Amino acid sequence: MRKNFLAAITAALAAVLLAWLPAPAETVSWTAIRGARIVPVNGPVIEKGTVLIRNGVIAAVGSQVDVPASAWIVDGNGLTVYPGLIDALSTWGLPQAAQAPAQTAGRGAQQLPQLPQQQQPQQPQAQQPQARSRGPQDRPGTFTWVKAADQVQSSDSRLASARNAGFTTAVTFPRQGIVAGHGAIINLGGKTAGEMVVLPEAGLYLALRPSGYTGFPSTPMGIMAYFRQLWLDADHYRQALALYAADPVNIPRPAYDRALEGLMGVKRVLLPAPDPIQMERMVKLAADLKTPAVLYGVVRGYEMAERLKATGTPVILNVRWPAREPGADPEQEESYRELRIRDLAPTSPAALSAAGVKWAVSSDGLETPRAVLRALKQSIDRGLRREDALRALTLSAAEIYGVADRLGSIEPGKAANLVVATGDLFDDSTRVRMVFIDGVRYLPEPELPQPPAGAPGRGPSSEKGEEQ
Amino acid sequence: MRAIHRILPVMLAAAAWGGENDSFLLRNATVHPVSGPAIQNASVRVIDGRIAEVGPKVAPRGRIRMIDARGLHVYPGLIDSGSPVGLAEIASVRETVDTGEIGDFNPQLRALIAVNPSSEHIPVVRANGITTVLATPGTTGGTRGAATSAGLIAGQASLMHLDGWTWEEMEIRRSAAMQMTWPVIQTGRGGPPDLESLLPGLAARRVTFAEARRNQQLQVQKIQDFFDAARRYQKAKAAGEAIAPDLRYEAMIPVLEGKLPLMIMAAREREIREALDFAAREQVKIVLAGVRRPGKTIDDIAKRNIPVVLGTPFVTPLEEDDPYDEPFTLAAQLHKAGVKFCFASFNVQFARNLPYEAAQAAAFGLPYDEALKSVTLNAAEIWGVAGDYGSIDKGKYADLIVTDGDPLEIRTQVKMMFIKGVPVDLESRHTRLYKRYMARP
Amino acid sequence: MRAPVLALTLFAGAACAADVVVIQNGTVHTVTKGTFRGSIVIRDGKIADVGEKVLTPPGARVVDATGKHIIPGIIDAHTHIALDSINESSVSVSSMVNVAEMLNPESVSIYRAMAGGVTVCNSMHGSANSIGGQNVVFKLRWGADARGLIFDRAKPSLKMALGENPKRQGSPQGLQIPGLQSPQNLRYPGTRMGVEDVIRDAFTRARAYQREWKDYEARRARGEKALPPRRDLELEPLVEVLEGKRLVHAHCYRADEILMLLRVFDDFNIRGVTLQHALEAYKVAREIAERGHAVSTFSDWWSYKVEAYDAIPYNAAILHRKGVLVSLNSDDAGGAELMRRLNAEAAKVMKYGGLSEDEALAMITINPAKQLQIDPWVGSIEPGKDADLVIYDRHPLSVYAKVEKVFIDGRQYFDRDEDMSRRPKIEAEKEGLRRKLQEQQKQAMPQNRRPS
Repeated sequence: MRKNFLAAITAALAAVLLAWLPAPAETVSWTAIRGARIVPVNGPVIEKGTVLIRNGVIAAVGSQVDVPASAWIVDGNGLTVYPGLIDALSTWGLPQAAQAPAQTAGRGAQQLPQLPQQQQPQQPQAQQPQARSRGPQDRPGTFTWVKAADQVQSSDSRLASARNAGFTTAVTFPRQGIVAGHGAIINLGGKTAGEMVVLPEAGLYLALRPSGYTGFPSTPMGIMAYFRQLWLDADHYRQALALYAADPVNIPRPAYDRALEGLMGVKRVLLPAPDPIQMERMVKLAADLKTPAVLYGVVRGYEMAERLKATGTPVILNVRWPAREPGADPEQEESYRELRIRDLAPTSPAALSAAGVKWAVSSDGLETPRAVLRALKQSIDRGLRREDALRALTLSAAEIYGVADRLGSIEPGKAANLVVATGDLFDDSTRVRMVFIDGVRYLPEPELPQPPAGAPGRGPSSEKGEEQ
Repeated sequence: MRAIHRILPVMLAAAAWGGENDSFLLRNATVHPVSGPAIQNASVRVIDGRIAEVGPKVAPRGRIRMIDARGLHVYPGLIDSGSPVGLAEIASVRETVDTGEIGDFNPQLRALIAVNPSSEHIPVVRANGITTVLATPGTTGGTRGAATSAGLIAGQASLMHLDGWTWEEMEIRRSAAMQMTWPVIQTGRGGPPDLESLLPGLAARRVTFAEARRNQQLQVQKIQDFFDAARRYQKAKAAGEAIAPDLRYEAMIPVLEGKLPLMIMAAREREIREALDFAAREQVKIVLAGVRRPGKTIDDIAKRNIPVVLGTPFVTPLEEDDPYDEPFTLAAQLHKAGVKFCFASFNVQFARNLPYEAAQAAAFGLPYDEALKSVTLNAAEIWGVAGDYGSIDKGKYADLIVTDGDPLEIRTQVKMMFIKGVPVDLESRHTRLYKRYMARP
Repeated sequence: MRAPVLALTLFAGAACAADVVVIQNGTVHTVTKGTFRGSIVIRDGKIADVGEKVLTPPGARVVDATGKHIIPGIIDAHTHIALDSINESSVSVSSMVNVAEMLNPESVSIYRAMAGGVTVCNSMHGSANSIGGQNVVFKLRWGADARGLIFDRAKPSLKMALGENPKRQGSPQGLQIPGLQSPQNLRYPGTRMGVEDVIRDAFTRARAYQREWKDYEARRARGEKALPPRRDLELEPLVEVLEGKRLVHAHCYRADEILMLLRVFDDFNIRGVTLQHALEAYKVAREIAERGHAVSTFSDWWSYKVEAYDAIPYNAAILHRKGVLVSLNSDDAGGAELMRRLNAEAAKVMKYGGLSEDEALAMITINPAKQLQIDPWVGSIEPGKDADLVIYDRHPLSVYAKVEKVFIDGRQYFDRDEDMSRRPKIEAEKEGLRRKLQEQQKQAMPQNRRPS
C-alpha cells in the first residue's frame, strides 16, 4: 500500500517537475533569411548569404550557414538585409511627449505645455498647478523621477510608420521640463510596453529653454546655474545619506528628496548644442556636472568636428537641414551666415565621420521617419559615404548608449532587429519589405495621417497614407 | 556757463531800451546765411524782428542796440522737422505723454494746442541752437528716437518756436503737415529672447508672413476707404449739399486739395513704394518721413520731387550684413540722387542733439553745406515757410544763433539766441541744477 | 573661429600680423603722458615704445599716420552686447548666473563696436534685479571664439541695481503684461525700501554662509566628522564680494538711493564700487569721493524715466571736479550703437562742464580701465601696455571723426578701406550661395512629389 502511494507521489512530483523543466529542443524557433545581400555594418558586405535567427537572437551570419530543417525560411533573393535602424533621440512610443516643444535647433514658437499630473513643487506650498518657481529649491521643471520606460505605449500610432521606414529601435525620452527625465531604449514592436523596453535607463534629457513651469530660471544661463546647483545638492544629499548611514545616532536624518533621488547614478546627460558656441558651453557644463554628455540638436557639425573629437563628445545630429521657410517674406534676405549654414549643414555628417566623431541621428523635427533617410541621402550626394550614414543609424547609436553588445549590427549574439529592403536604404526607389524585431516579423502597414511633431511649415515631402 | 555772461549785457541793454526788444545790430561776426557763402567780419541788422540788412559794412542808422559778436559766428536758428517736444515729458509716464491718440484716423487733432510751454524740454533743447520744432503727433518720445506711432493718421503737425508765454505765441503754423503712418507688415518676430521666456504670450503672438501681409493690406484698405469717404464729403460740401459737419473730413480737405502736405512715415522700400503709389493715385502732396532703406524707390522719390524727413542716423544697421556705416551714409545717398531732405529728432530726450545728426551725415559723405541746410533752409522750404525762416536773408524773421564755432560740432557753445529778433534765455533746468550742485559745500 | 565669420572679416596680409608694427608720424594722445606728434612701436602685442622720435626696427610693418590721431582703445564699462541672454529677471537675487556663459562671439555688435574704436567692454547682466548676475569683461577680438575674447586678467564682478528697474515686478502696474499681474506673481521688492532690504539680507546671508564654512573647516581641522554646509551658488559670489575678490557695478539713479547704497557698502566693508548710470550722483559727489567709489555714466541722457528727470549733462564734469573717478558708457544692449561713438560722447564733457581734452579722453580710456582694474594693461599709450590703439582721421573729440584702423593686442582688426572694398565681394558671394542653394533644393525634391 505504502509503496504504491510513494510511487504515485513520485510520479506526480516527476510530472510536475517535468512540466517545470525547460521545453525540449523542439520548441526552439528558427528563422532564416536566405539568399539575400547582407550589410552587417560591423564587417564587409555579404553579397549572397543567410541570417539565422534563434529565438529572436541572431545565431549565425554568413554566405554558408547551416539552416535547421525546422527553420522558417524567408526568401531573400533580390533583397538586402540591414541591421534595424535606431532613432537615437526620439519621442516614439511616448505619444504625450510629442506634444511637448521639440528642442530642434531653435526654431518654432515656444509654448508652455500643460503640466503633467505627477509634477508637484518640492516645497510644502499650496498645490497650485502653476506656482511660480522662486529659486532652485522649487525644483522647477525637474522631473528626475519620470522614466520613459514607465510611459511607453505600444499603441503609439507612429510606431507603424517608423517600422515602415526601417526603424526597429528608438531611444525615446520624455520632453517636458528642463530636467525632463530618463530615456529608454525601446524596440518599436512588442506585445506589451514592457516587452518593448530594451534598456530602461539611457540617460537624462536636459533642455535649456524654460518649459513646465514659470519663474526661475527664465534664461539659459539661469538654467545652467540651476543644473549646477541641482548636481551640488545631489552630491550633498549623497554625502548626508552616507554620513547618516554610518552614524544614525548623532547625524540628523536627511529629508527624502525625490528630485535628488532621481539623479543618483545618472549615466549620461543629453544637452543641446546646435553650434560651436553652444558646444563649448555644454562641454564646460558637463565637466562641471562631472557627468558624460551627449550633445543633441547639432546643426553646424561641420564646424564642430575637431573640437568634438578632442573632447570625445558623441553627438546626435539634427538632420532637418535648415531651409528657407516656405511662407517667408520674399523681400527679406537671408544673411550671409544663414546662407552658409544652409549650404554646409548637410555636409556635417561627412565632416564628423572624417574627424572620427561618434555621431547618430534623431527624428526630432522631421515629419516622417522616412525623412531621416532622405535627409542623409542629401548628405550622401554631398560626399558622405553610405556606410558611414548606415553606421550612424545603427552601430554608432548603439555605442553611444552602451548597448553595442545587443544592437546595431548583424552579428551572432545580438538581437534579431533587421530591416529587409528591395535595395539600398538611401535610394528613393527602395521599399522596405519587412522588419524583424527580436525575431518577430512585421510587414509594412498602412499609415494613419499624423500631426507633424512640433515643426512649423512643410517641406516638399509627401506623406499621409502613401507607401513610403 | 559762459552764455550767461554774454546774454546778460544784451538783456540788460534790451531792458534799458525798453520797448524795442526785437531790434538790434549784431556786429563783427562771421555770418553764415546758409543761402549763400559765409561773410567774414559782418553784421546783421534786425528791425522789428525781421532781418533788415546783412553784410560786411553795415552802419548803424539811428539809435539801435549794438551787440558785439567779435570772434563769434551767426547762423540761422536750427529747425527740427519732427519731434514731440512739448507733447511728452517723461517717456515712461503715460500721464505726461500726449503724442498718440486712440483710433486709426484723427486728422482733426492739432499738436500745437497740446504743447506745454512750460515743459522743461523746451529750454533744454533750444540751448543747443534749435529755435523751431515741428511738433508731431504720433511719434513717441521714446529712449532711442525710433519713429513709432499711434494709429494711421495721428493729426496735424504744427510748426512752432521754442519760446513763448503761450502756445499761441509759439505758433508759426498751426497746421504744417498731416501726419500719417504707412502700415507695416508685422510678424511679431525678433523680440528680445529673455522677454520671450518670461512672457510666453509673446511667442504665441507671432504670425506667419502671409497673415501679417494680409493684416497690412487690410490697414491699407482702411486708409483708402477713409480717403474715399473724405472725398465724398468734400464733393458734397462743394456742391452745397446739406451734410452733417464732420471735423475729421473737414480736416482732410486741405490735404485733398493739395494744400497741406501729407507726412507719411515709411521706413523701408516696400512701404515707401506703396506710399508713393498711393500718393500718385490720390494726387496728394506728400513728404516721406523716417526713411531708412529706400532701395530702388530712391530714383522715383527724386524724380517726383518728394521731400524726405530723415530721422536720427544714430541707430544700428537694419540687417546683420549691412555695412556698419549704413545709417550714416543714407543722407549722402539721397543727396547724390537729388532728393531734398531735412533732419528730425523724432524724439524728446535727444532733441537737443539734432545738429549732430546732420554732422554725422557730413562725416560720411554729405557735403557740409548740405548738412547745414538740412537743419535750416531745406526744412523751412519743405514746410513752406522759407519766405520767413531758414536763412539769414533780408526780409526774413531774425531766428538767429550766435556760436563760438560750427553749430553742428559737439564742442561748440551757443552763446546767444534770438527768436523773431527777441533774445532768448539759454538757461534751463540743467544749467540751474549744475550751478546749484557745483556750489554744494 | 569658424569659416563663415572669418571669411567676412579676416583679410590677407595685415591679419597675419607682423610681429613689429610702427604707427608713424601721427598725433599721439597718450592720455596719461601728454599729446604730441610722434610714433608708436608695437612688438609682440604690446606697446614697445612711444614718443616723438622712435627707432623703427628693421622688418617692421609701417603704418603711416600722417595727419591722423591715435588714442588708446576705447573701454566701455557698461554694455550688454554679444550676450545671448542678459537678464535672469525671475528672482530678485540672481547672483548665481554668469553672463560670460552667454557670450556670443558671432554677434556682429562686436565688429561694429570695434569699428567704432572700442577695444574692451564690460558686458553686464541686466538691471531687473536688486542683485544681478556676474559680468564679463572682454576684448573685441573679432573672429576669436568665446574663450579667446575674454579678458582673463580682469577681476570678476557682480551687477546690482537700484530704483525703478528692480522694483518694477513688485507692483501690479509694473510690467503690464497679462499673466504677470496676479498677487502670487509679484516679485518682492516693490519699493526702494524693499530694494535696500533685499541687498542687506543677501549680504547678511552671505556672511552667515561664510561663517558656516569657517566653522566646518574648524571642525574638520579638529578631526571631527562633519557634513559640510550645502554649497550655495547664489551666496558664493556675494562672499567673494565681501572678501574683495569680486568687484561691484551698481546701477542707480537717485541721490537718496545712492547714499543708501554707500552706507550699505560701508556696513559690509565693500570698496572700489563703480556706480553705474548714477544720473543724480552729482548731488552726492562728496560722499562718493570720500569713499573712493567711482561713477560710470551717460553723457547727456535724461527724462526717459522719472528717476532720470534730474539728470544733467554736467554730471560727469561735476563729479570729476569733486574728485570722483568718472567714465562714460553706452549701455548698448541689442546692437552696438552709442558705444561706437563714445569718442564724440566724450567731447560732450568739454561742452557741458568745460573739461579739457585729456580729461574727456580719460573718461573713455584710462578711467574705465581703472574702474575695471585693468589699467596695468590698457587705457593709455604707454610702453609695456597692450597695443590696443585706434587711428582716427582727425581729432577724436569731434562728431566728424571717423575710425580708420583698430589694433588690439598689436593685431589689426579693422581697416575702413578694407571694410569698404570687401562689401561688393560679400554681395557676390551671397548671390552665388543663393543660386547654389536654389539648385540644391530642386535636386532634393523626391521624384514622386505630389502637391500637398
